[in-house]
Amino acid sequence: MATIILFAPLIGAIICGFGWRLIGERAGQVITTSLVFLAAALSWWIFLTFDGTTQQIVLMRWIESGTMGSEWAIRLDRLTAIMLVVVTSVSALVHLYSFGYMAHDDNWREGEHYKARFFAYLSFFTFSMLMLVTSDNLVQMFFGWEGVGVASYLLIGFYYRKASANAAAMKAFIVNRVGDFGFALGIFALFYLTDSIRFDDVFAAAPALAETNLTFLWGEWNAANLVGVLLFIGAMGKSAQLFLHTWLPDAMEGPTPVSALIHAATMVTAGVFLVCRMSPLYEYAPQALAFITVLGACTAFVAATIGLVQNDIKRVIAYSTMSQLGYMFVAAGVGVYPVAMFHLFTHAFFKAMLFLGAGSVIHATHHEQDMRNYGGLRKQIPLTFWAMLIGTLAITGVGIPLTHYGFAGFLSKDAVIESAWVGSGFAFWLLVVAACFTSFYSWRLMFMTFFGESRAHGGHGHDDHNGAVHDAHGHDDHGHGHHEPHESPMVMLIPLGVLALGAVFSGMIWYKVFFGEETAVRDWFGMEQVAHGEAHGADHGAVAAVNSEGETVTAEAAPAEGHAAEGHATGVAPKGALLMLPFTPEEQAVVDTRLDAAKVAKAEHPPTTIINAAHLVPTWVKVAPFIAMLIGFAVAWLFYIKDPSLPRRLAQQQRPLYLFLLNKWYFDELYDVIFVRPARWLGGFLWKRGDGAVIDGSINGVAMGIVPMLTRLAGRAQSGYLFHYAFAMVLGIVALVTWMTLFGGAK
Amino acid sequence: MDLILREYLPILILLAVAVGLGLVLILAAAVLAVRNPDPEKVSAYECGFNAFDDARMKFDVRFYLVSILFIIFDLEVAFLFPWAVAFGDMSMAAFWSMMLFLGVLTVGFAYEWKKGALEWE
Amino acid sequence: MTSADFRILLPEILLSGYAMAALMAAVYTTRDKLAATLVWATAGLFVALALYIGAAGVGERTVFNGLFVDDPFARFAKVTILLSAAAVLVMSQDYMYRRDLLRFEYPILVTLAVVGMMVMVSSADLITLYMGLELQSLSLYVVASIRRDSAKSSEAGLKYFVLGALSSGLLLYGASLVYGYAGTTQFAGILTTVQAGVPLGLLFGLVFMLAGLAFKVSAAPFHMWTPDVYEGSPTPVTAFFATAPKVAAMALIARLVQDAFGGIPGQWGQVLAALAVASMFLGAVAAIGQRDIKRLMAYSSIAHMGYALIGLCVGTAYGVQATMIYMAIYVTMNVGTFAFILSMERDGRPVSDIAGLNQFARKEPLKALAMLVLLFSLAGVPPMVGFFGKFYVLKAAVDAGWVWLAVAGAVASVIGAFYYLRLVYFMYFGAEQDPVDSRMAPVQWGMLVAVAAIMLLGIVNLFGIEGPAALAAQALVR
Repeated sequence: MATIILFAPLIGAIICGFGWRLIGERAGQVITTSLVFLAAALSWWIFLTFDGTTQQIVLMRWIESGTMGSEWAIRLDRLTAIMLVVVTSVSALVHLYSFGYMAHDDNWREGEHYKARFFAYLSFFTFSMLMLVTSDNLVQMFFGWEGVGVASYLLIGFYYRKASANAAAMKAFIVNRVGDFGFALGIFALFYLTDSIRFDDVFAAAPALAETNLTFLWGEWNAANLVGVLLFIGAMGKSAQLFLHTWLPDAMEGPTPVSALIHAATMVTAGVFLVCRMSPLYEYAPQALAFITVLGACTAFVAATIGLVQNDIKRVIAYSTMSQLGYMFVAAGVGVYPVAMFHLFTHAFFKAMLFLGAGSVIHATHHEQDMRNYGGLRKQIPLTFWAMLIGTLAITGVGIPLTHYGFAGFLSKDAVIESAWVGSGFAFWLLVVAACFTSFYSWRLMFMTFFGESRAHGGHGHDDHNGAVHDAHGHDDHGHGHHEPHESPMVMLIPLGVLALGAVFSGMIWYKVFFGEETAVRDWFGMEQVAHGEAHGADHGAVAAVNSEGETVTAEAAPAEGHAAEGHATGVAPKGALLMLPFTPEEQAVVDTRLDAAKVAKAEHPPTTIINAAHLVPTWVKVAPFIAMLIGFAVAWLFYIKDPSLPRRLAQQQRPLYLFLLNKWYFDELYDVIFVRPARWLGGFLWKRGDGAVIDGSINGVAMGIVPMLTRLAGRAQSGYLFHYAFAMVLGIVALVTWMTLFGGAK
Repeated sequence: MDLILREYLPILILLAVAVGLGLVLILAAAVLAVRNPDPEKVSAYECGFNAFDDARMKFDVRFYLVSILFIIFDLEVAFLFPWAVAFGDMSMAAFWSMMLFLGVLTVGFAYEWKKGALEWE
Repeated sequence: MTSADFRILLPEILLSGYAMAALMAAVYTTRDKLAATLVWATAGLFVALALYIGAAGVGERTVFNGLFVDDPFARFAKVTILLSAAAVLVMSQDYMYRRDLLRFEYPILVTLAVVGMMVMVSSADLITLYMGLELQSLSLYVVASIRRDSAKSSEAGLKYFVLGALSSGLLLYGASLVYGYAGTTQFAGILTTVQAGVPLGLLFGLVFMLAGLAFKVSAAPFHMWTPDVYEGSPTPVTAFFATAPKVAAMALIARLVQDAFGGIPGQWGQVLAALAVASMFLGAVAAIGQRDIKRLMAYSSIAHMGYALIGLCVGTAYGVQATMIYMAIYVTMNVGTFAFILSMERDGRPVSDIAGLNQFARKEPLKALAMLVLLFSLAGVPPMVGFFGKFYVLKAAVDAGWVWLAVAGAVASVIGAFYYLRLVYFMYFGAEQDPVDSRMAPVQWGMLVAVAAIMLLGIVNLFGIEGPAALAAQALVR
């Protein structure tokens, strides 16, 4: 069944991409969409019936080279099941949505075919993404990883007539290369250290890696931490974390369904998936985890600040995505991988919905993306408004504090923030502030788009179509004289509705298994249970692991850090999709100071693991994100409903700060100076001097000068006279004899 | 010294006989032969060419053919001679080897004969 | 001398007897009318003997008191020689018949040349070596000038003869020096002598012998005869020159340097490397200026011999294996290419100007495609089989530490690719003009297409010639 899920999109992509001339564009669209829907249905079936036991479905022998061997196999565990659902569902809905969204496009001339290509790319992306999430070894994962990179490149640059789209596609590709270089180095290092690229072997060797040192660049490093960081660099590129994030906002040049599918719900979460997938390794790499936490928190914060002032509707959501990815990384970084996956899962629904909603708005306003030209759209496109409202409620985390009732984002984001408090106070505070900003810019988006007066007909002169931004987006082909915003067709609204269900309910339904009781979570992910009670305390190192049947196994299956020496002697990969070790004594000491002592005393389970501990944080910690959300909402209301002139005045008053944020902390400019210009200069130098003068010069010199000269010489030697020939032979033998006499080494 | 000289005596005798025989023949020709000279008869003769002339000249390829054929049979004799001298001491293999050689030579001869290589015109 | 000795020699004896019987039969009956039959019979006999040698030969035996050796190496070379000679014979029958060239002596001379080659590759003694070499050479001199009424053909024969005599002289001089210093003509005896130490005279002898043999493989700078003879001789004869004798001479070099001078690879390695480099570059560079496809093929074969010599000069078993594989691939490619060249004609007259290939692909797409494959393969473009031949020898060089030689080979192959690809360019994108006709007998067409297919299909496992070649190399290199 997993095989069908994996290959259905590929088949669709091939049929549609290569065969649409035969079967027609429409048929191609229908085939891809129905195949992805099939995959989605099967994915849900697997997700709902999956029992948590890891399965491996070998498809074929793939690589045999020296000691490196790998199968092409599907690794089916809880992690894969979650990702399957996310990927195929969003993909299916986006396919459907694209029927409407891509029906007419100003970027193409009359009679040009682009829809089949678009759908084929979408399906190809889906296949690559499934390859990534179902992989059973690192090389297979890398294959999928690059596959999504290619698909992303193709789709960002889908409007290849637009120079900006091409530039954005290249930027995305190149920035991702930086991350992929780290990822590849990580894979090499793992193969070098463990002689295998299979997950099971790597996981089994993880405790040993924590004891190994590796020389890299200028120094000696702990192998587990080094590999962890290298792999995370790959994740940073794909998931647009700070320093490698600059491609994501530009990627909004792609069609909006692409932004929803690739740059919000699925591909950008691949980095989070990678970290979770490699959790058995990261659990032995505390420094790498700390690095992830800090970087994730910074990303969440920085992206949120930038999002405050952006005016392009898609860019606001893009920065919001980046910010939410930071949340996920913080969760992974503090070791609560299920929560990272939880937020990934819920985020996929509400963020895809926000994007599709934004697409619907853009569609309705004839490809207008600047929020300053919106306003008052609530009445014209009410269904889109309601969808966007639900999405906003979800992303800002609306719910009833201290209960488990709320929108999806409420549950997952609060889980992240509570866990962050246990792991790192620094991350916690950044996340809370970011939550406030998130609320602000999300509501700002809502207010600017749907409330107030319509600015499209006002001073901006929509009638004569000379709005500066508007013209940049091409001409409207919806028929002239029909400029009123109009509600999108049903094919676009149905996906919104479905995603809205997810945005509302997915958090409440799956809260228990992602972030409920520790036993439930471990059971759901197929992990071994950790025995509590007496084990807690002084002899913490001797935690005995008990599997789900309650049978006691020795500590080597889930070794605490003190047991690493025994653990790697046997080297068995941990059971289940994730690995979450209990705290070490030092960590425990730190954690205990952060928790609410009263709650700990009453607790059913002692806070020896991050999940248990996260439930026992002080109440004010639990309420903090909600308060932050309310502040953000209030400020947004004040700025954009109560007194719309306030933002402008504030921007003028704090001009440097405003520009700093508007220009995205000047990352692009900084990179331009540090990397792009030197690289250009070097490239130009190598091209003009190195390639043009030296290489071309010498090659051309040889090919057009020396070789013909030699040819003429050889031709002249071939005179046809016998005595010349004999003379040449005699000369030859004389030369050989002389040589041998002088250098032959005869005695 | 004496001994060495005595060992060379047969050669000296042979030399004397040779010189003597040569003189006898020349003198006999001078004394006995009929002299009836004409320009063709008195001109020097070498393969149909003037003996004293430019060596780089065209000549009939048939001379070449005849000389090649001559060399083949000349060499045959050079092989046959030691074979014949040692005939008494040799094995059957040696005998049949020469027979085979002669057979191959005969095949070649038969070919050139039939092909007409021996006919001047 | 036992009957077993003769049994080892059976193929050579059979062929000699057949040649003489055929000569007598033809000259005393219908003469040239019998020629076509003889061609086919000879080719059939070659193939039968090749199968016999390939299938029945086992082990390694030295017979006739150390004059003659039968080992896997000799058998590999013999099978290659016999098959390529058979292929060339059957290809040429139609061509020669139509141009009134089909003398009954032709197949017989080829047979005798082949006997000479078989003796060459099996020789274990300087005398045997020379006898085989001369039997081959003398037959080839005659074949070169088989078109007696053509000035070019006569010139070709004469040049070949005179220079061949010179090279034979060099060889003999070298052989006598070797004999003088080693005190024996047997390879085994020479080997024990050189292992004790190499006197300068012996080294001279070695160099002279290699020079004489280099003439036979037309390695630079002893190559000068090749373009003229290739151009002047009738095309079928050129095809023959380009195939079987090259294999025989190359095998002979391998046998001489390994069996007689195996102890001093450092000495002959230098000589052969010099010859190899000179041949590769000269072949590549000089071919660029050629307008005549037969002269072009002459330079092509010079260059190819350079690559084959790389395998020999490194002195390892793998190198010899590489050379044997290279030679097998080389003759196969040449059979196919000459099958095509034989068919080039205009108004019934053979043409060999490469300008005639302009726009040929439009006229005969299938043949042009086959030629394209062959030319790519000759140039060593992957994935054609020709690439693997080059790959083997270059790998042998790298493995043995001769990296500079491998680099030189790679550079030369880049230069050489130019003129092969130019032919392709002419065929597909050449100037607008009437291309040559390509009249092919079925057997030529079959050869062309079959060889092109081999060049493509052989990439799977080179039709399994690696195994026999490795066996041959191991028998030779100890």
